[in-house]
Amino acid sequence: MPQIARALVEELIAHAREELPNECCGMVHGRDGAAVAVHRVTNVAASPYRYEMNPLQMMRLERARDESGETLFAIYHSHVASEARPSPTDVRMAFFPPGEIEREPMFPDTFYILVSLVSEPPSVRAFHVRTGGVVEEEPIAVIEA
Amino acid sequence: MAVKVHVTSVIQKVVDGQREFDSDGATVGELLSNIDRQYPGFAQQIMAADGKLHRFVNIYLNDEDVRFLDGQETALSDGDTVSILPALAGGAR
Repeated sequence: MPQIARALVEELIAHAREELPNECCGMVHGRDGAAVAVHRVTNVAASPYRYEMNPLQMMRLERARDESGETLFAIYHSHVASEARPSPTDVRMAFFPPGEIEREPMFPDTFYILVSLVSEPPSVRAFHVRTGGVVEEEPIAVIEA
Repeated sequence: MAVKVHVTSVIQKVVDGQREFDSDGATVGELLSNIDRQYPGFAQQIMAADGKLHRFVNIYLNDEDVRFLDGQETALSDGDTVSILPALAGGAR
C-alpha cells in the first residue's frame, strides 16, 4: 500500500492545478517504502491530453536517486478532464517499446499516481501496471502529519 | 571519437545493467552501430524493424537533442557525452 504524507498529496494537487490547462507530470522519490519528495518534471508535450517528461530532467533525477539511495516511488501525472485512472495510452506507454504489453513494464515496482481535476476536491489514486496491460489499484494510505 | 554514453531504465538492461560506459564513433549513427556490436540486442531495443529509431527514444549530444542537430548524422568529438533515454509519456488520450 503506497504511504504518502498529506503534504506531498497536496503538492501533487497544487502542481496539477498550476499546470492547467495542460497535464502535469513528475516523479515521487521514496525511502523505506514511503514517499519522501515530489519532483516536478517539465511536460514537453505541453498538452491537456498528453504528457511526455523531459528526458534530461528524468536522467538527472535518476542520478540523484543513485546518490541519495532513494527509490522511484511513483511516476505521477494529471488528467484534467477525466478520472484518476490510467488511460489506454498510459497503459501502452508503461511498456517499451510502447504497446508491447506482454513484456515486463518499464517500471514494475513503481506506482503510477493519477491526479484528476474533474472532481472537487481533486482525486489522487495510485496503480500498478502489470504485464499484459493489467491495471491494479493500490489504495493510498495518506499519512497525516 | 571516444565518447561517454549514458543510458537509463529499459536501455540499461541491454548494456549489462550499466548506466554509463565508453564507446566510440564519428557520428551518432556510427556510435549506435558500435554499441550494438559491444552489446548485441541494443539496436533491436531502440530501433523499429525498418531500422529507424523508435519515436520514443531520445538521444542527446551533451545537453542537445540530436533531432535539433543532424540526427544520426550528428558528428561527435572526443570527450562528448551521448545520452540515450527512453521517453516516459502518457496522458488522457
